[in-house]
Amino acid sequence: MDHRPQAWGRPRDDVYGPYDASYLQTSGPKTATQSPVVTGTSVIAIKFKDGVVMAADNLASYGSLARFTDVKRLRPFLSTSVVGFGGDVSDMQYLDRHLTELAIDEAYEHESSAAGTSGGAPGGQLNAANLHKYLSKLMYRRRNDFDPLWNQVLVAGFDGAGKPFLGSVDLRGTAFAAPSLASGFGAMLAQPIMRRHAATDADAAALSREQAVQIVRDCMKVLFYRDARSLDRYSLAVVTRDGVEISEDERLEQQSWAFAERVRGYGTQVV
Amino acid sequence: MTSIGTGYDLANSIFSPDGRNFQVEYAVKAVENGGTSIGIRCKDGVVLAVEKIITSKLLKPGANKRIATVDRHLGVVYSGMVPDGRHFIERARDEARAWRDTFKTPISTADLASRMGGYLQAYTLYQSVRPFGITAIIGGFDSPAELPVDGEVGSGPACGAGGKVAGKTHGGPFLYMIEPSGLYWGYYGAATGKGRQAAKAELEKLDLGGPGGPALTLEQAVKEAARIIYLSHDESKDKEFELEMTWISGPDGPTKGLHQEVPKELREEAERLAKKAMEADEEDEGKEEKMEE
Amino acid sequence: MAAMFSQNPLMNGPNYSFNDAPRSNAPDGAREHRFDPYADNGGSTLAIAGADFTIMAGDTRLTSGYSINSRFHPKLFKIGGSTADQKDATLVLSVVGFAADGEALKERLDAICKMYRYRHGKPMSVKACAQRLSTILYQKRFFPYYVHAILGGLDEDGKGAVYSYDPVGSYEREQCRAGGAAASLIMPFLDNQVNFKNQYVPNSGEGHALQERERRPLTRAEVEMLVKDAFDGAVERHIEVGDGLQMMAITKDGIEEIVLPLKKD
Repeated sequence: MDHRPQAWGRPRDDVYGPYDASYLQTSGPKTATQSPVVTGTSVIAIKFKDGVVMAADNLASYGSLARFTDVKRLRPFLSTSVVGFGGDVSDMQYLDRHLTELAIDEAYEHESSAAGTSGGAPGGQLNAANLHKYLSKLMYRRRNDFDPLWNQVLVAGFDGAGKPFLGSVDLRGTAFAAPSLASGFGAMLAQPIMRRHAATDADAAALSREQAVQIVRDCMKVLFYRDARSLDRYSLAVVTRDGVEISEDERLEQQSWAFAERVRGYGTQVV
Repeated sequence: MTSIGTGYDLANSIFSPDGRNFQVEYAVKAVENGGTSIGIRCKDGVVLAVEKIITSKLLKPGANKRIATVDRHLGVVYSGMVPDGRHFIERARDEARAWRDTFKTPISTADLASRMGGYLQAYTLYQSVRPFGITAIIGGFDSPAELPVDGEVGSGPACGAGGKVAGKTHGGPFLYMIEPSGLYWGYYGAATGKGRQAAKAELEKLDLGGPGGPALTLEQAVKEAARIIYLSHDESKDKEFELEMTWISGPDGPTKGLHQEVPKELREEAERLAKKAMEADEEDEGKEEKMEE
Repeated sequence: MAAMFSQNPLMNGPNYSFNDAPRSNAPDGAREHRFDPYADNGGSTLAIAGADFTIMAGDTRLTSGYSINSRFHPKLFKIGGSTADQKDATLVLSVVGFAADGEALKERLDAICKMYRYRHGKPMSVKACAQRLSTILYQKRFFPYYVHAILGGLDEDGKGAVYSYDPVGSYEREQCRAGGAAASLIMPFLDNQVNFKNQYVPNSGEGHALQERERRPLTRAEVEMLVKDAFDGAVERHIEVGDGLQMMAITKDGIEEIVLPLKKD
């Protein structure tokens, strides 16, 4: 037996094995976010004639646990753009606060927002394309520091020419734009459906707001059917030149699980 | 000033025997030379206005704004030394940002006034500094709704502990004025600068502090503010001026809780009415003079 | 010392004090990082230098894994113009590999070329820019830009110039070069069609007597044709290539940009 005072009250090494104090070490390489913890799943968005529609469900998962069920993952920016977050929720909160600060700094140069010019954002304020570029630089910088913000972010709004804009940035700073975008599972399940209606910008420009909303709603249903980390309550944002409308308590209507019976290949069924 | 000189006015941190800080009083003089600023707290918002004296024809019209946004819902206007005002704004923005950083929620108008009051007061205490040569008017609209914490993700419990109390009202329009001494009060209507006497006299005539709260609406207040600035302008001293106006409404109002410039159309309409009122006054005066004859 | 008194058979030493604690199982406290800072965004690029022109080309597809992120994400960038729209640019950079690094590299090189222009009152030569690009890449030798860069322009004699790079800055001036996902498909085709490799004069003899086909500079029309054929072939055989073909022709009159459709499957 070890009778030294530092051993008092501690599990015995010979019984429980040595205490692993490695986590207490302060030396060694800097450790940053190495994996996401509480996560949000897909975000989807599609352009239409007068703007962009975006949706994301209200769930934040802790692994496979549905941890928070009223999470707002679509955030307005300067009431001219919407940012949709997938991935780590704490990093989303950091980004949200950062963007709030950015928006306030923008408001210091106060051009009256009532006197909006053609370019979507009023008075030369940051538009969605600018914001997309800004976020891509921020995310790329953090990946260079090996301290990534573990998110994939969709940015919707208008570009400098006043045309609808939809872009994406991921945790490595990869940035791109397209007529329709989906992060996470949505890239596999929702994107093909959306591309059927908006393969090109010209196709998207032929869609009405109602059509675009319906497409997005259908995609959210498909995602709920197939994505185990999804929820039937979701947020829906519509960005137009008139501003941003976000509704945060949408529900999936008219679900039909009849198809589930025919699903074969995994699970408990034998044949 | 009665006891000028005698050495007590040379340093900030020395009282005169009769208990005055002359440096602060001189700072007030600097304010009294500045263009008139006013603030009106009305039923559904706050209006800030300033008489911007045009010091040179070479300055671009409409540029060089004098009313600043401090946070989304907060605006500041000031009379006196413009550089001092600029520093005041910078500090106010830092305070608002620091508040958000710690509490993840916007600073209330009262809290900002308190922070800035304390800041200005500190500039009356030390040998090494002089007081601010400005009097600032802070206008704000604190959100009546329970605001989400910045970055907040959910909406919290719907009932039980931590739930919302139904029917309780919060926030609303607020107006504060801070003087060089650091003294600040909340006001129904505030005026400072050159034309403050005339402006205050006009403000007192408005229905701003009735028992059921002010009756004046935001749009009326904009028009009154324009009229008061035009009225308090002394043409014998300064030839030309520009009227700069901002407003803050509640979330249901025209600015959706934000501090914004008054739209051009409304401002021009208010200016037109103000000029008309001036002309009417002059005519009345002319008539009275004739009658006296 | 204290280690002698340990009862722990495994450690042969006491492990109660944190100072005595084992550091970690990994050697020297090193930790595994789960974050991989790199991604492969697919796509392919191509550059051919002619007698008095250079043609650069790239597809416009951006992928990650089996997903197509965007069908129009250009890989060709005009560099060093005096304005944001690059109207008076004389150089073209193509980047393929990891898109975020490509974007960062392009922005840096563009900023440097712009600074050069402001300071010297003239655009940077391809030769100077090529050396500078190599330095930029090499400076990040231990955390490289994960891209295959190709720089195109006209040299001091007005001849087409193509410089190609590896991710850490090793570079070479070449007649033609293919980069990216389908480089291995396109490059042999170019060897044969641009440099006439393995082409012989018919009936000129056998074995060593066999005469190589005479090399001649290609015309612009021929090169454009080659580029289109090269990409049509790449699209057919590589899943990461497709959607659109972006071509830039650099001549003494400036840079002409052409975007053509490719198969979207």
